[in-house]
Amino acid sequence: MSRRAKLTHSKLPISGRILMFFIRHLQQAMASMGELWRTPVSSLMTMAVLGVSLSLPAALQVLVKNAETVTQSWNSAAEISLFVEDNRSEQSIQSLLARLRGNARIAEVKYISRAEALEEFQHLSGFGEALSYLDTNPLPSVVVVTPSGKYSTPARARELLAQLEREPEVSFGRLDIEWLERLQAMVRLLERTVLAIAALLVLAVVLVIGNTIRLAIMNRRTEIEVMKLVGATEAFIQRPFLYTGIWYGVIGGVLAWSIINLLVWYLDSALGELLGLYGSQLSMQSLSFAELLQLVLLASFLGWLGSYLSVRQHLRAIEPA
Amino acid sequence: MIQFEQVSKIYPGGQKALTEVNFHLKQGEMAFLTGHSGAGKSTLLKLITVIERASAGRVVINGHDIAKIKAAHVPYLRRNIGMIFQNHHLLMDKSVFDNVALPLVIEGFSHGEIRKRVAGALDMVGLYGKERHSPVMLSGGEQQRVGIARAIVNKPPLLLADEPTGNLDPKLSMDILRLFETFNDAGTSVLIATHDLGLIARMKYRTLTLKQGRMLGAQELDSVHAALGGE
Repeated sequence: MSRRAKLTHSKLPISGRILMFFIRHLQQAMASMGELWRTPVSSLMTMAVLGVSLSLPAALQVLVKNAETVTQSWNSAAEISLFVEDNRSEQSIQSLLARLRGNARIAEVKYISRAEALEEFQHLSGFGEALSYLDTNPLPSVVVVTPSGKYSTPARARELLAQLEREPEVSFGRLDIEWLERLQAMVRLLERTVLAIAALLVLAVVLVIGNTIRLAIMNRRTEIEVMKLVGATEAFIQRPFLYTGIWYGVIGGVLAWSIINLLVWYLDSALGELLGLYGSQLSMQSLSFAELLQLVLLASFLGWLGSYLSVRQHLRAIEPA
Repeated sequence: MIQFEQVSKIYPGGQKALTEVNFHLKQGEMAFLTGHSGAGKSTLLKLITVIERASAGRVVINGHDIAKIKAAHVPYLRRNIGMIFQNHHLLMDKSVFDNVALPLVIEGFSHGEIRKRVAGALDMVGLYGKERHSPVMLSGGEQQRVGIARAIVNKPPLLLADEPTGNLDPKLSMDILRLFETFNDAGTSVLIATHDLGLIARMKYRTLTLKQGRMLGAQELDSVHAALGGE
């Protein structure tokens, strides 16, 4: 029994094995890097392919991020205007306002009295003089309600409107959401397109790395055979290939990040010019440091995955004969 | 050390390579394995190194029943077997040192220990000081000795050699065999597959003879030897 148990591990003591495990990993990681360094042209080609493939989803991510900052200011446009019945006293209006402010679904309540409404209308419409000929103020008082975050989506806002219209002081309410719905539909479409394209490109990255690793395995076929003959475990043999995949991912990710920054820098001046014509101070956002880390992490994971799939399939097939 | 009990091997194509082979190589014993090409020598060695598994019968190596060893444990079994090949299976793009160090690296020895043991193994095969050489720069005999150094560097209890002298002239062959004798003197079990009968005749070791997949008994041996010697 003790002899059988011996078969499962090496002859070294446990502390030495743990230490050597980390040293070995570090060595193999460095060796894989060195291997890439020794064939710079083909390595660079692969990395460039990965960088370009990764830069496209990353660019789309930048696009979505910038679109979000722009549309965020529009989301608050999901305002509900409640028109108060003419004959209501100031007191009952105040009680309505108090009730609205107490409603958890409402973020902000703004009251525009009849007088204020008239003033605003005069100011904006350009009918100023003509309106002063009227005997009475024809405008109702309005309560502008901004739904809280969760209730600002078109469907929820509509629900809220129906509920608010049941208040006795309210004659009717209005929610101008058609354009918002369209905008949101467009943003959703954009997001989905981005996701689909990103998924395809991510798949491409995995396949490119998988294929590169497959070629590397084929190139070292005899070496793998010899290693198997002298008692190397699968884990030992596949480790350098997995590290190679990870390195490809890391460098591809950094490359993609550089491409994005170049792209943003290139577009920013043109965009600034355009926005300047509209009197806006918005500037394009690039990827933050955290996002660089995410990108590199994702890329190295993809590199690992691609090489793992390749190694699983091809290393098994190589047996000493 | 090696025990075969009624072992048969039939390859997937239906080709019968070994039929009911019985033999026992004791701990610390040295023996030759002979027979014509196609007699099953390679298959027998493949069964010992678990490159192939027996179709029937029991193979016990170093106390382990091969049939009960999972694929994941095979590498650990192979670490107990030093293997030497006719075409030596060296990595030509690596230095002599790296080639010999490979089994130690796999087992996870520290760098200092590896350096010491590789130097010792190379010294034993008479290649001390050639660590930095590339195998390409060495002669055939030297390359074979690098292969032997790799096989013995982690001091396995069993050495297997498949036609170790196949490409060498008689004098070099004798040197190699003397080398095996020194390992055997140190307690290592040695099994050498060869069809070089002249070589065997000059040494007094047990000879296992395969003929068409069957192991010949002692009484049949003399006649076979006479027949083969007459060629």
